[in-house]
Amino acid sequence: MINQNKIDEWIREVEERPASAALIIQYIANRLSELASREEELAAQNIELLNGRKVEEYENRIANLEYQLELLKRQLGGEIILPTEKPVLKPFVETINLLAYNPFGQVLRLEFNPTPLAHGMVIGRINTNEALVDIRPNILVTSSNEEVLFLFDSGRTEGIPVSSLPISSPDNLDWQQAYVQEPRLKEELAAIHPIARMSLFETCVQTSRRGFVKKIKTSFLATHVTEKYIGSGVKMPADRTCSLTLANKDDLYVLVSQEGYIFSMQVDRLPVAIEEVVHLGITDHIVAAFVTGQKSSVIFITQNGKAVNRDTSWLVQAGSFKSKGQPLLSKERREAGTRIVGVAPVSDGDWGVFLQSDGTLAVYNLHELLATGSIPTGNQNPPILSFASFHLPGIKK
Amino acid sequence: MGLHVGIDFGTSNSGVGIYQNNQVHILPLDSQNIDPEVVKTILYITSDDRSFIGQEAVELYYKHNINRQRRFVKKWSGEIDYHGADMHYVRDIYVYVDELQPGRLMQFIKSALRSEKYVGTQVFDRYYGLSDIIATYLHALKQRAEALLQEEVSGVTLGRPVKFSQDAELDRKAEATLHQAALEAGFSQVDFELEPVAAALYYEFSLHKPQNVLIFDFGGGTLDLTIMRLGDAHQRMVYASGGIGVAGSDFDRAIIQKRMLPHFGQGFVQNNPEILNLIHTIPDWAALPELSTPQARVELERAIQAGQAPVRLKRLESLIFNDLAFSFYNMVESTKIQLSGRGAVVARMKEKNLDIWELYTRAQFEKDIQEHREQIQRVLMDTVSASGLKPGQIDAVVKTGGSSNIPVFSEMLGGIFGSDKVKSSDVFNSVTAGLAIKAHQYSWTVVAGKPFAIA
Repeated sequence: MINQNKIDEWIREVEERPASAALIIQYIANRLSELASREEELAAQNIELLNGRKVEEYENRIANLEYQLELLKRQLGGEIILPTEKPVLKPFVETINLLAYNPFGQVLRLEFNPTPLAHGMVIGRINTNEALVDIRPNILVTSSNEEVLFLFDSGRTEGIPVSSLPISSPDNLDWQQAYVQEPRLKEELAAIHPIARMSLFETCVQTSRRGFVKKIKTSFLATHVTEKYIGSGVKMPADRTCSLTLANKDDLYVLVSQEGYIFSMQVDRLPVAIEEVVHLGITDHIVAAFVTGQKSSVIFITQNGKAVNRDTSWLVQAGSFKSKGQPLLSKERREAGTRIVGVAPVSDGDWGVFLQSDGTLAVYNLHELLATGSIPTGNQNPPILSFASFHLPGIKK
Repeated sequence: MGLHVGIDFGTSNSGVGIYQNNQVHILPLDSQNIDPEVVKTILYITSDDRSFIGQEAVELYYKHNINRQRRFVKKWSGEIDYHGADMHYVRDIYVYVDELQPGRLMQFIKSALRSEKYVGTQVFDRYYGLSDIIATYLHALKQRAEALLQEEVSGVTLGRPVKFSQDAELDRKAEATLHQAALEAGFSQVDFELEPVAAALYYEFSLHKPQNVLIFDFGGGTLDLTIMRLGDAHQRMVYASGGIGVAGSDFDRAIIQKRMLPHFGQGFVQNNPEILNLIHTIPDWAALPELSTPQARVELERAIQAGQAPVRLKRLESLIFNDLAFSFYNMVESTKIQLSGRGAVVARMKEKNLDIWELYTRAQFEKDIQEHREQIQRVLMDTVSASGLKPGQIDAVVKTGGSSNIPVFSEMLGGIFGSDKVKSSDVFNSVTAGLAIKAHQYSWTVVAGKPFAIA
């Protein structure tokens, strides 16, 4: 494209080296001649379009293609049934879906029926050739009519309806046959989040493994989601994004680390630019980020199956950023190797899905679980790798 | 006993010369290159362990990589020890490897000689030490020379910079690695000559008394400066040497960034990081084939459908997916070369959907490389200052290397040292030619058992 800047630069060349003037004029004249000829061609095509000759040509082509199709039909010995009527749409039934995913972008979708759920029931088992703990799997329970957002640690996102993910059989949950949302070079799938209700929230909080957060307005988030890029959300090279949380400004935002440190603060006070809100030890990282909403308590699950319940009123809001966090575990338990694998705000009637290191997926009624204090794991049973809570439809929260 | 050749093993380009019948012959070893006497210092090793050099390597790399399938698998590559205040733990490091990668491209091989840390790399199933990499390249050069000369080549005089490194031990190690590589490549006699000495050899022949000479070796990858006392082969002295990693390829990149990217949507596409990433990768010729993924095509089609600079993005699509990248970079290089001879040229390309017309003047080029010019002038003055000589005490400036032909640098040298002192030479091949003469002297010495006397 020729613009004024370029013309000024050409003039400067002529001022510096007058001998270039003839060359420049020659080049421009040649270009003008080329463009004039091209313009003539385009004008001729335009006339053809306007007087319908092109339409006629395309109609002839279509007729020719239809004739070839007819020939093919005859060669195949029958009519090709082309859809002429709209298919009858099946009534859409909402179901509970479990998504198990890993950093390689492999996603298994398991659909389960809520009515016959029993405390401690095994709903599936993931088959894997290598140790599940090395794959770092994660789970999410969501509705079949949700839209989920795949968040990669590069900041790239990909939105997809849950219903478009292939359903796996509970007896054959195998990563090899999983749906793959392939990460790009040097990328890992960081998390999957439901976003269908995004417009009901004012803001979204992006969290990194090392406790850095940034707040994004949902109107901006919608644009980012359309552009498939939300930003990496990190400041340090060794850090990476791990979560997105939809929230309203009065909600209490909670971060929990693997070593049991809790950071909580009203969403309104969270930073808009990326900032370290909780200062974690070098071996520690964030395992859960959520808002408490209307839930009355928070359940913390350890890798050995202990369930610790705290009222939301027990959470002490941080006075400033870079705080050390409110400890949940005693020093002795931390030193003994107790680690948090999952946290969720809960209310009566909530259930939890637990993924154990042998691939077993089991559901527990959280109310009953809190009564017993733990699920049967420990030395004999494989440790818990991941936990997700859900609420059965039809039960009032 | 076989022939003895001179090899200029450069950062970007290499060349082979031989002195026969009282004449220096620069061997045209790369028939696919614009200048067949110049072989790009590029090595491409395929997954079935075949190796290619020069333009053939570049073309094969493009052919193999454009529109190819990719499959990334996570592989363990090592571990990192973390030391905290009172703790220590080890973390595994994984990398994503494209298991369908057809080959590995290596460039700037010579630069690795300057590195203290670089020892080699894994290429598919085989580990290549640095000397293996260089040996593979030199062996291919030797084979081509033998095919052309129809005779065995057993000896080589290799060029080397005045200093590979300021560290004497590293400098010795670099020469030892190069020596080892030449032996591995099949040369039984290996000797070295300083590149600036080789470059100025023609000039030195013409001298009747010793002079202080600045050798301005400005090639495709680096600018090497040497200030020497020349004129008496027994009393040569290096006053100072210096250099900078700015040269011809950086000027090509500047032209692409400043003048070509708008043709592909720069400044017209906004808020689309995927597409902007594609556009900003264009200046890196080796990375361009990596963009030809189905996902990139979908992103481009989507942006075109959405009406985001559709004509420009069609050009971009064509550049990435129609195997036009190679012609495009050649067109840019050719534009730059033509500008040395005239005040204005048209950068023109018209293939498939890629239609570029850009009237480009020398004034625009000089503006585009202004930053590099300033860097070069600083390094030049620093080297003169380090030599302990004043510019007026430099008796001659010998230019060599393709980029030294660019008028603005001749003017720069003329302005500092005086135009009458700037000597032109065969800018592309003077180092190779000098090494060929040195190789001949060496072989003559070996045969006759006494030093070669220059008439």
